Amino acid sequence: MKQMRQETLRRIISLVLLIVLTVVFTLTTDTFLSWDNITSMLREAAFIGLIAIGVTTCIITGGNNLSGGLAVGMCCMIFAHLYHYTAMSLIAIVLLSLLGGLLSGLFNGFVVAILQVPDFVATLSTGMIFQGITYVLAVRNQYGSITSEMIKNPTMAALGGRLPNGIYYVTIVWLILTVVMQIFLKKTKMGTYIYAMGANRKSAEYSGISFIKVKMVAFTIAGFMSFVAAMFTLGRNGTCDVNTGTALNLQAISAAVIGGAAFSGGRGDMIGTLIGVLFMQVLRNGVLKFNMTTAQQSIISGTIIVLMLVFDAYYNEFMQKRTTRAAALAREKENAGK
Amino acid sequence: MSNSVKNNPVVKAILGSSRILVLLILAVFFTIATKGTFFSYKNLVNILYSVSLIGIMICGACFAVLLGGIDRTVSGNAALSGAIVAMTILNKGVGGSNVALAIFLGLGAGVLSGLIHGLILSRFNIPAFLLTLATNEVLYGFVQLVTSNTLIYVNGCTLMDYIGQVRWLGIPIPVYIMLACILFAYIILNHTVYGRQVYSVGGNRQSSELSGVPARKVILIAYIISGFMGALAGFVLSSMNQQASAGQAKNYENNVLAAIVVGGVSMRGGSGSIQNAILGAFLIGVIENGMNLMGVPSIYKDMAKGIIIIVAVAMDMANQPGTPLNNLKRRLSKKAA
Amino acid sequence: MSEKNELLFEMKNIEKIFAHVHALDHVNFDVRKGEVHALLGENGAGKSTLIKILTGVYSKDGGQIFMDGKEIEINSREDAAEAGIAVIFQELSLVPTLSVYQNILLGKETSKFGFISDASEKKQIQELIDRYGFPVKATDIVETLSVAQKQMVEILKALATEAKLIIMDEPTASLSSRESELLYKIINQLRDRGVSIIYISHRLEEVFNLSDRITILRDGKNAGVIEKENIVPSEVVKMMIGKEISESTASRALHTSDAETELEVKNLTHLGYYYDVSFQVKKGEVLVLTGLVGSGRTEVVRSIYGADPFDKGEIIFEGKPIKPTIKKSVANGFGLIPEDRRTQGFSPLLTVTGNVALTSYDKIAKGGFVNKKDEDALGRKAVELTDLRPANPNVQVGNLSGGNQQKAVLGKWLTRDLKVVLIDEPTVGIDIGAKDEIYNIIEDLASKGVAVLMVSSDIAEVLRVAHRIIVMREGRIIKEFNNGVATQEDILLASSGFVNETKEAA
Repeated sequence: MKQMRQETLRRIISLVLLIVLTVVFTLTTDTFLSWDNITSMLREAAFIGLIAIGVTTCIITGGNNLSGGLAVGMCCMIFAHLYHYTAMSLIAIVLLSLLGGLLSGLFNGFVVAILQVPDFVATLSTGMIFQGITYVLAVRNQYGSITSEMIKNPTMAALGGRLPNGIYYVTIVWLILTVVMQIFLKKTKMGTYIYAMGANRKSAEYSGISFIKVKMVAFTIAGFMSFVAAMFTLGRNGTCDVNTGTALNLQAISAAVIGGAAFSGGRGDMIGTLIGVLFMQVLRNGVLKFNMTTAQQSIISGTIIVLMLVFDAYYNEFMQKRTTRAAALAREKENAGK
Repeated sequence: MSNSVKNNPVVKAILGSSRILVLLILAVFFTIATKGTFFSYKNLVNILYSVSLIGIMICGACFAVLLGGIDRTVSGNAALSGAIVAMTILNKGVGGSNVALAIFLGLGAGVLSGLIHGLILSRFNIPAFLLTLATNEVLYGFVQLVTSNTLIYVNGCTLMDYIGQVRWLGIPIPVYIMLACILFAYIILNHTVYGRQVYSVGGNRQSSELSGVPARKVILIAYIISGFMGALAGFVLSSMNQQASAGQAKNYENNVLAAIVVGGVSMRGGSGSIQNAILGAFLIGVIENGMNLMGVPSIYKDMAKGIIIIVAVAMDMANQPGTPLNNLKRRLSKKAA
Repeated sequence: MSEKNELLFEMKNIEKIFAHVHALDHVNFDVRKGEVHALLGENGAGKSTLIKILTGVYSKDGGQIFMDGKEIEINSREDAAEAGIAVIFQELSLVPTLSVYQNILLGKETSKFGFISDASEKKQIQELIDRYGFPVKATDIVETLSVAQKQMVEILKALATEAKLIIMDEPTASLSSRESELLYKIINQLRDRGVSIIYISHRLEEVFNLSDRITILRDGKNAGVIEKENIVPSEVVKMMIGKEISESTASRALHTSDAETELEVKNLTHLGYYYDVSFQVKKGEVLVLTGLVGSGRTEVVRSIYGADPFDKGEIIFEGKPIKPTIKKSVANGFGLIPEDRRTQGFSPLLTVTGNVALTSYDKIAKGGFVNKKDEDALGRKAVELTDLRPANPNVQVGNLSGGNQQKAVLGKWLTRDLKVVLIDEPTVGIDIGAKDEIYNIIEDLASKGVAVLMVSSDIAEVLRVAHRIIVMREGRIIKEFNNGVATQEDILLASSGFVNETKEAA
């Protein structure tokens, strides 16, 4: 009998969890399934989702990215800085922010693939550097202290808008990018290489696939997603400060893990992460509707990650034991038949 | 240099450890750059004082790192313990038995947290970095619950006042507490069976288990020590500030990590020493202090820390054969030869 | 049938020298088109060196290689692949989370603008699979396949590169007998399609059934080439061993049989690993379990030590049945020198003293505190007992040579009062000088009354140290030889399944 694959099982679990949560919140509150609430949930989900796309890609290569949210802050601040202090055209500013996002990814790739610093430690440290840059670029008032910069550009403000039916642009862009990335992962050479590198680095390298290239691509994608999230953050808030984006990391990682990405690499995809993001958002929103505090939220979301980690480890152990036991029993049967 | 000088143990130690050398060079540099302010007695005491909290945490966290894991919850444990101590004293009064109860509860929370981490990490094959990243979030959630997100002032508690304000021989009490913790960790790691087992399990768990070492118990105890030290640091922190807050000690875990890797404790486990980890803490403390004195804005400190961690780990990894840096190193040394 | 005899591949006068030792000394080897050609030889005969040269892992120090009559140079894996040579690895090199066709084409995908031409690739691979009738689908995810199916994917990977010569190194080692049958069928199919195969296996029975020709190596030299119709099992074995050695073996003195039984195992069974294993080890006796890798020897020893569980049976120590755990075993005076010393034997970062003392803290610590003086003395004692070099107990074990690493592992137990020592393949990857020293240590232990239970595949070694020999095959004891009666030939034939051809044990 064929065994169920880890990600299939995980996806079923996360879908069931999502449905259960939705049903519970719909029954216990009146406003949960209102169109207004749905569109605003999808808007919030999009920001987590954009970072989660990048994080998932990095996790599939067998790594991780703790700097995604901080890169969002950095891209925002590059924009705000240039907007405030220079007379550059909007296009040039946007392109320079994009460059910042891409460079953040390349730098992560450099530290991980060439300096060989383990992903966690590397992206934690680069995150500290990105945040430092954010502070350096921060807009200051005449006394020299950091202020939040208002960006009153109509084009940027339009990014925060929505369609006549109420769905925000950011949601649409997030969904499009999710589909694009799903196709990229499943249908392109580089996508296949990303999976191969995460699941069996030796065999991938043996087939002529470059570890450095794969890591660079994955982190650069993550950097690009941070840039996109940054532009929409500016569109929504019309402002940014030094703490922008810092809270997104852990939620994005949780979403990826809930959606089936495994830290051992080679597993997970954008559909799973989409489910994970929706789950995280429904949980957050529902918890808000129950008037829970941020404290309770972080306890709940942290506990969920821990449970998922333990489940992963236990499941792997269990499957391994079952496979060896099954092989042993098969041998025994044959021996008995002799 | 004459032989007698060369054989002097102090000179030997200085020449033998690049960290002490770097520390001395930095000290000289900052002394000159700050026209002597750096080397003043007051400033040196300041450095000791500012390193003391990180130092206490390292005395716990280095056990986890030596076992090939990591404990990022030292900060969460500290915050929770500080908050519990402050709240207990606030609710029950500042009297003697209440303070004992407060400390018992605060440190107990740390031990409990360590116990839970130890149970999970010794049983399951889970990346410790990620687990403790998530649980630290949970711990800070609890801190917010305990403090209701407000600043809690503790006034009139004799013991906390004593720890926070009294000096012996001109040196603040937290420094003595740190020294006691270092002594504790040093003795455990160098003179007990448990210490030997920590190094052995960190180096090769399988061979240790086959030699009869109870590896799970060793890991469990390490995280309990780490939880306890975190909680102790939290109590000391609350005493120093006479208050507890929901966000206290936040990001201290990054300083602890930086100090440990700069101190040459391998993140792959099995090698490194508490002395060097503490030296790492002083290195970072001196850099921070020197930058402060030179008027460098504090925002650069985090960047500096990030770069320091990357460089320290990259140097450790460059010794591994097969990595790009190692290949480069070999190619260069070949060319030189 | 003239085409059948056409040469595909030829190696002439191949030489390889490691540190002044001729690993290969003017070896000749050739493969015909559409031929299954087995390469036989004992461990260290030069088989794997030869294979590594022809796959580009090592470069040769002399001689020539021809493919299709043209001389070629193989200096890297890429060179070998280009020449049409593919290897089926013992450790499978597949990506578990990708599908069969993605694995087969990994790194060689056809694509337009980076997009893989999925449909045509799937079709192409499915056609390849159908051509050979393998029981897998192109879209199956590799991790859901059985070991045998994974091996087929490996073979497909080789076929997809249009390999003309496929090397199979112990391909049946982890297969059940039914799966092996399937593999044999596939090999025959490949041969019929004109693919040549170099087949390496310790299982002589399957080698004799499968191969068209056998080349035998001994001590890095050609020992003979035999056509299928001329194969006589006992002759082949003789060629592998070389007569001059086999005469000089049966020299062990009889063990005094009046010693008490120290360890007894009764009907020990771990389903799927070993069945009904019973034997006794007396004080001062060296009992060796031999047989092929995977015959259940290591598993028996690990169960006795308490490192693995067992399902049925009894372990009796000094007359009392015991339920072993590692902790109890150490306390009872058991010691284990494990199979793979790098992963199980020692902590590379610790010093010799640190490793040795690990088992003895019950003796050299009080109240949890280590007595440094005693610890150092213990380290020195271990160095002395094993003649470890450099004679410095403060060296990191990871920096020692293989032989000295093993001595450090031995030191862990020699410094204790041992009653039973379990030794698993103690001399793998160790040079000859150190081997002898390790044998002397084992003999020394026995003479002091320690019961020694050893596992070994090296037949010369078995005959050198054993008082009694038990041959295991597929998890069962199939033969027991008493002191000094067995020859290398007997043991090799018994382990390969030719029980009837061996003479009766005395």
